Amino acid sequence: MRLGHVIGKVTLGLADPALRGARFLLVQPFSREQFAGAPLLPLAKGATQVVYDELGADIGHVIGYTEGAEASAPFPTSVPVDAYNAVLIDRIHYTPPA
Amino acid sequence: MQLARIDGTVTGTACHPSMCQGRTVICQPLDAEGRADGVPVLAFDQLGAGLHQHVLISAEGSVIRQLVRDEHSPLRNFILAIVDPKSGDQVAALSS
Repeated sequence: MRLGHVIGKVTLGLADPALRGARFLLVQPFSREQFAGAPLLPLAKGATQVVYDELGADIGHVIGYTEGAEASAPFPTSVPVDAYNAVLIDRIHYTPPA
Repeated sequence: MQLARIDGTVTGTACHPSMCQGRTVICQPLDAEGRADGVPVLAFDQLGAGLHQHVLISAEGSVIRQLVRDEHSPLRNFILAIVDPKSGDQVAALSS
């Protein structure tokens, strides 16, 4: 599972029927500095992810999302999802050794 | 499996119910010399690993789904084992 912050939303036009009514978020993965409290903008390097969302995250929220086959596990049927928003992050306690 | 160090924890307001059976900790993957390598990842912890402890994390979704007894859990990384701090000396002794 990775940390990322929501920078936008995605609405699907033509999509797989299993994805009807789904909400997708545009998420920028965290850099190590952002774990330590660096500002969210400017955006960290790295590809922006599109993450399936059932928890109702909004722009500016920090979320924990899982990637890969595990992201399609929470669905009763098999759906083409490979990034799933698993937790809305409230507080990050990040204290690496000096 | 991968060697990592616990660098912190996160708390969440809303999450998938299967995550409530343990803590979510911040794991910093380590390279062979024990230095930080890459961006930290979040891992599910039921063993109660302490801060800065070295652990083994696994990314096997099928295993963690059995651990939390929920076949719909989106969890992936989890703490498989806590490394004995003295194990580094044995490796050094073997290789010297």
